[in-house]
Amino acid sequence: MARAAALPIAIRQVTKTYGRVHALDHVDLDIRSGEFLTLLGPSGSGKTTLLMVLAGFTRPDHGSLLFGEEEVVRRPPHKRDVGMVFQNYALFPHMSVAGNVAFPLKLRGVPRADVGRRVEAALELVQLGGYGERRIDQLSGGQRQRVALARAIVFEPRILLMDEPLSALDKQLRERMQIELRRLHDRLGMTTVYVTHDQREALTMSDRIAVINGGGIMQLDQPQRLYEQPANRFVAEFIGESSFLPVERVPGGFAHAGRVLAIQSLPAAAGRHLLMIRPERLQLLGAGMGEGLNLFDGTVEEVVYQGDSILLQAVLASGARVAARAPATAGAMAAVPRAGEAVRLGLGPADTVILADA
Amino acid sequence: MTAIAERPNAAGLRRDAFLERLALFGLGSPALLLVLVAMVLPVGWLFWLSFLADDGSPSLEHYRRMWQEPSYGRTFFVTFQVSLLTTGICIVVGYPLAYVLSQLPRRAANLAMIGVLLPFWTSLLVRTYAWLVLLQRQGLVNQWGIELGLWSEPLALVHNLQGTLVGMVHIMLPFLILPVYGSMRAIDRDYLKAAANLGAGPVGAFWKVFFPLSLPGLFGGALIVFILCLGFYVTPAVLGGGRVIMVSNRIATDIELFFNWGAASALGVVLLGLTLALLYVASRLVRLDRVLGGGH
Amino acid sequence: MRNRAIPAATIAVLLAAGPALAQDLTVVSFGGAYQAGQSKALFQPAAAAMGIKLKEETYTGIADLRLKVRANAVTWDIVTSGSGSAARAGAEGILEKLDYKLIDVSSFLPGTAQEYCVGGDVFSTVLAWNTKTYGDKGPQSWADFWDVKKFPGKRSYRNGVAGSLEPALMADGVPMDKVYATLSAPGGIERAIRKIKELKPHIAVWWSSGAQHAQLMKDGEVDMINGWNGRFDVIAKDGAKVAYTFNQALLDYDCYAIAKGAPNKDRAMKFLAEISKPQYQAEFTKYITYGPTNKKAYDLGTIDAEYAKKLPSHPDNAARQLPVDLAWYIQNEAKAAAAYQNMLTE
Repeated sequence: MARAAALPIAIRQVTKTYGRVHALDHVDLDIRSGEFLTLLGPSGSGKTTLLMVLAGFTRPDHGSLLFGEEEVVRRPPHKRDVGMVFQNYALFPHMSVAGNVAFPLKLRGVPRADVGRRVEAALELVQLGGYGERRIDQLSGGQRQRVALARAIVFEPRILLMDEPLSALDKQLRERMQIELRRLHDRLGMTTVYVTHDQREALTMSDRIAVINGGGIMQLDQPQRLYEQPANRFVAEFIGESSFLPVERVPGGFAHAGRVLAIQSLPAAAGRHLLMIRPERLQLLGAGMGEGLNLFDGTVEEVVYQGDSILLQAVLASGARVAARAPATAGAMAAVPRAGEAVRLGLGPADTVILADA
Repeated sequence: MTAIAERPNAAGLRRDAFLERLALFGLGSPALLLVLVAMVLPVGWLFWLSFLADDGSPSLEHYRRMWQEPSYGRTFFVTFQVSLLTTGICIVVGYPLAYVLSQLPRRAANLAMIGVLLPFWTSLLVRTYAWLVLLQRQGLVNQWGIELGLWSEPLALVHNLQGTLVGMVHIMLPFLILPVYGSMRAIDRDYLKAAANLGAGPVGAFWKVFFPLSLPGLFGGALIVFILCLGFYVTPAVLGGGRVIMVSNRIATDIELFFNWGAASALGVVLLGLTLALLYVASRLVRLDRVLGGGH
Repeated sequence: MRNRAIPAATIAVLLAAGPALAQDLTVVSFGGAYQAGQSKALFQPAAAAMGIKLKEETYTGIADLRLKVRANAVTWDIVTSGSGSAARAGAEGILEKLDYKLIDVSSFLPGTAQEYCVGGDVFSTVLAWNTKTYGDKGPQSWADFWDVKKFPGKRSYRNGVAGSLEPALMADGVPMDKVYATLSAPGGIERAIRKIKELKPHIAVWWSSGAQHAQLMKDGEVDMINGWNGRFDVIAKDGAKVAYTFNQALLDYDCYAIAKGAPNKDRAMKFLAEISKPQYQAEFTKYITYGPTNKKAYDLGTIDAEYAKKLPSHPDNAARQLPVDLAWYIQNEAKAAAAYQNMLTE
């Protein structure tokens, strides 16, 4: 299949209320042409509603929606010409695999000879070449997922929407499909909007992630920025593990439990703030170590072996709790203190992130 | 050491499995017994009777008479004609109704479904006579029609094929609507969304996706209606004016008038045979397990 | 009178009901206005006179009794029946022979006391019409019934052969006293059926029960019908626009028989002797316009002379009618019924 011309999407002031609940609250979002953008959020956050607005299945109360230059907010779904992969795939059970994939082509009046060729090409693309005659109920979950994908892209839409397409698959298959989907996107180049509640999936696949909660966008950023510099406590908690320590403002910076923190980038905003600590960024320190780090002393509460790493819970002298993760190498294992023993933890200035406590 | 040691508890586990099957069979046995007593024995008895002459000697005379006497053929024709027409009208009337119900919110649909099922609460005889009262020459329909100036002479609405069909459709409609409605409710709305997303307008989505998916229910309902119609007695007797003579009516006359159980049994056997043949053909056309299972 | 509705259902109910509780005597009849009259005029007074406890039941016809006799589950003692059905049932062996030393039929109309069944009332199958349609210029003969030009309108005719062939022959020009001779001759039945076929397009309803044919006239559903005179009088009393003529009517009677294997056979015989007495029969005429079979009933003076003229068996009326020939029915009914069914189905 050829690379499709992609379209940018502009969402302006889109609002949808159900009774008094704002499912979408004046959402503004620009999705770049050819971008893989993920809408990430907990269930009920509005991410699926936003996707349904894009597909045309949900009519917003007001707002504007542009595909390229065209206003499409009042266009019915069957005229929007966007591909979509449904959460449960929604493959037509009364049609064969080929019948499903050919469906959008036939509706578009593609000549019969071309239909067969394009269906086979789309199936090849999702590695299901030769499966055309199969019935849907003869396929495994992963195969169904691929058919749904083939059906969504066979008519070369310039926008592809995916609604938690991998949530029904088991973990291993899901991880393989994440990479495959991303490769496919890179190859076809259409603008892709992907909905998921799985932060790891979002981090793995996306160019940018829009974290959604309460009908609004909390943060729109690249995966790494989102992880390293979350905009607020919600984003930090939703993406990755983290501990939060109270901080007080001191001249020129912040301090925890009276100890001034070395910080690389200070937040501009006033108001209450928190120190965010990612467990894997905390280092277990031996005696005399810790030059140039922010140091935290405490007592080990619990040590949990997790295969690839060791998770350690500690209570600091200030009374706050933190989690630290250490690689489970043979050497590190021996050095890990036991529950009840004292421990010293260090955090580099670049990893010392101060968040607004919103 | 021995087989027992290598396969511990094998005998005991096998016994448990056997007892479980036995218990399951035990649950089913009252129904089996009922079917045997209420179905197999009487049908077998009728089957036997149909091969006996009036004097009790074995004979094919009842079947021969049915073959030679054109009026029997005519009776079977009428039976199948009435059943087919009733089924057809039930489909035309019931399918859209089931569709509307299936699109309503569940609570409203349940209420409406009670309305559909309401006829089941009154006896078939009462409903049939009610139609007679409505449709006869001096009945309400003719009175209103004439008063409103829609027609000037009373129409022959009953005591004929049309009247019979009205009564039978009324009685049969729920039997069609229920499976069709069930089948439609089971259709995931995402199928229709997917169809729209792929470029199908509402009409296209209905015919290409919704309708085919509702077919198992439609086929099941139509089959139930058709087969129930084949055995109808009261409605054609009351609303047909003695002119719509179906197999059941013929059986009744044969017993009452001729005191002829053999002839009546033979009619029953032939009707049963034709019905089974039809079921067989239908099962070849559609996978019956799907129809009866209601799934897809 | 004969009420043929849903026999299968009735049979099932009867079989399920099982043996009735022990009663001194159980009588079964056709229900409706007819049985109501029987009960008040015959059954209850006679039971009181004999000092016995009586149970009344309803049935649809002799086929029900046949089932009971075959199943060895006879709970009925006395059955009410049409004369023809009783004659055939007697020949078939499902009725007890009557003891005419006990039952006094010396003053009965000739032919109304059969070996297995003693006459109870005389009725007519008459030509009735809607007086709203035809006023006082109604059809007066079967020829008129068949004349759709002179008497346009919807007809209803019986869906069974009993009493249906004779009018057709009379309409076809056969004199009343030659009807059975003609029917017995080769081609006679076919001739009658051909004549009915001629009228078929004008027959809107083929009626199957006494209740139904009375209702058809009451509702004005048809304009003309053949049927049982008593039923028409009952609905006329209710205000139905119906009149009938005894001219060319068929004179027939209902009778009482004892079921084969009746639990109280001897008492049943005494009961039949009791209700055959003229005073009961005279009383019965007050409820429905069916005449007595016992001529002495007229001598008691309890039947009003004016009223007596309305009864089928009144000499003035009887003279204009054709008495039904039971012998012909016993011999030919099965064959004729089959031909009739075929005609209906065509």
